[in-house]
Amino acid sequence: MAMTKPTLDPARVARVSTALDDQGADAEHSLCVACANVAQVSGAGVVLIMHGRALGTVCCSDEIAETVEDVQFTLGEGPCIDAFDTRRPVFIPDLAAADVVRWAGFREGALAAGIRAAFGFPILVGPVCIGALNLYRDRAGDLSDEQIADAEVLAHVAGRIVMGWQSVAGAGSLARQLEQVPANRAVVHQATGMISVQASVSVDDAVALLRAYAFATNRAAHDVAADVVDRALRFG
Amino acid sequence: MTNEQLLVETLVALADTLVDDYDVIDFMQTLAERSVELLDVAAAGIMLSDANGHLSHAACSSEQMRLVELFELQLEEGPCFDAFRLQASVRAATGEETARRWPRFAEHAREGGFVAVSAVPLRLRGVAVGALNLFSEEDEALSDDDLRVVQAMADIATIGILQERLIRDQNVLTTQLESALQSRVVIEQAKGVVAERNRIDVDEAFRLIRTYSRSSNRRLGDVAREIIAGNSDFFVANPPRREKTDNASS
Repeated sequence: MAMTKPTLDPARVARVSTALDDQGADAEHSLCVACANVAQVSGAGVVLIMHGRALGTVCCSDEIAETVEDVQFTLGEGPCIDAFDTRRPVFIPDLAAADVVRWAGFREGALAAGIRAAFGFPILVGPVCIGALNLYRDRAGDLSDEQIADAEVLAHVAGRIVMGWQSVAGAGSLARQLEQVPANRAVVHQATGMISVQASVSVDDAVALLRAYAFATNRAAHDVAADVVDRALRFG
Repeated sequence: MTNEQLLVETLVALADTLVDDYDVIDFMQTLAERSVELLDVAAAGIMLSDANGHLSHAACSSEQMRLVELFELQLEEGPCFDAFRLQASVRAATGEETARRWPRFAEHAREGGFVAVSAVPLRLRGVAVGALNLFSEEDEALSDDDLRVVQAMADIATIGILQERLIRDQNVLTTQLESALQSRVVIEQAKGVVAERNRIDVDEAFRLIRTYSRSSNRRLGDVAREIIAGNSDFFVANPPRREKTDNASS
């Protein structure tokens, strides 16, 4: 029951919180833009993951970030997944580095989307990890120590903002600002339901089928899902 | 008279509990027992407040029935109640003073052999969470030095209590968030299941699910979960179609 993480310097928290406020980070559509600006990177995304299930994106700073988030969701691999699993920051300073074997699928998709580096920071609320803050860069290179320290604080503050939104919603309700988290993936979930009937499998297996198909055909999970819902594609 | 070494050990033990997982009640128990050892009083106990600001007994230096009752009495009157409400220490040096300030409490205290009493608030930056009460069998108040010592221990205890409450509240909130998000996921999945089985589009599927949950007076998320698990009466009320039909009537 540590009182605060040893690395979260109160002065840094105050500075980063103020900087985020100045950028209007209290609104869901500007939180990620604000994070990217404060961290001085090209793009950012905040995803919610709990008990190993990717529950959706809170925000993405731009279309590139959106595409990269979708790659992580489609493949079930990437810096945000690892950051959530290990509860530690994950660094991929050069996605094109030939000597890196991990994240082969993610790296390919991320490079195709136009980024060269990706970093994931776990979002911790007390003892619980609720997801991750992803930072992207259009050029290769490590984050500086200052950027890393700032990014850890950004993740912490983003967590506080998300929980702040939820604390105002009643029990059993979803915060208004978090409505787009499931809404953005509605088509994927609907397609999952349809696939589970078509293939006579559980919804968990249906998700795996959809992902596998997306990976095999080099398409975004969302696009495959749209085809299923439009009845242009069947799984059985 | 305080035993310096025991005091240092106590403060270290109290501070240690702030970093590991710990049991609040056990912690309170330690605080009560150490207070008695350090301060040459006969007994000690702690009351903690709930979310509505009502005090209840949390721990005692001994299981003695009389002692426990003395706390149960203090819901609306007594040294704990005053210390908590005023967020300041209170002291009654003699049985007479105790009787004057808290007549009903003093009567019961006397039966237990207690005359002088003191209490310090458990508070941090204007937030009060309870009070620590000390009982003496002698007509002698706690000295200023002793009061400072016991307030220091109470302050450490308060940090621990507030931290534990914060974590508990955070856990409740994160669970609520996960549950709310999961419900939305299963509702979308159920739309897909119904759309496929009934050969309708997802919007029509949602209308059917919503109608069914209203007429059966159940939550959407619960109905959705059952539809996905395959054990819902939904399809009795809305039979799946076996062949494609040209019209969309149900």
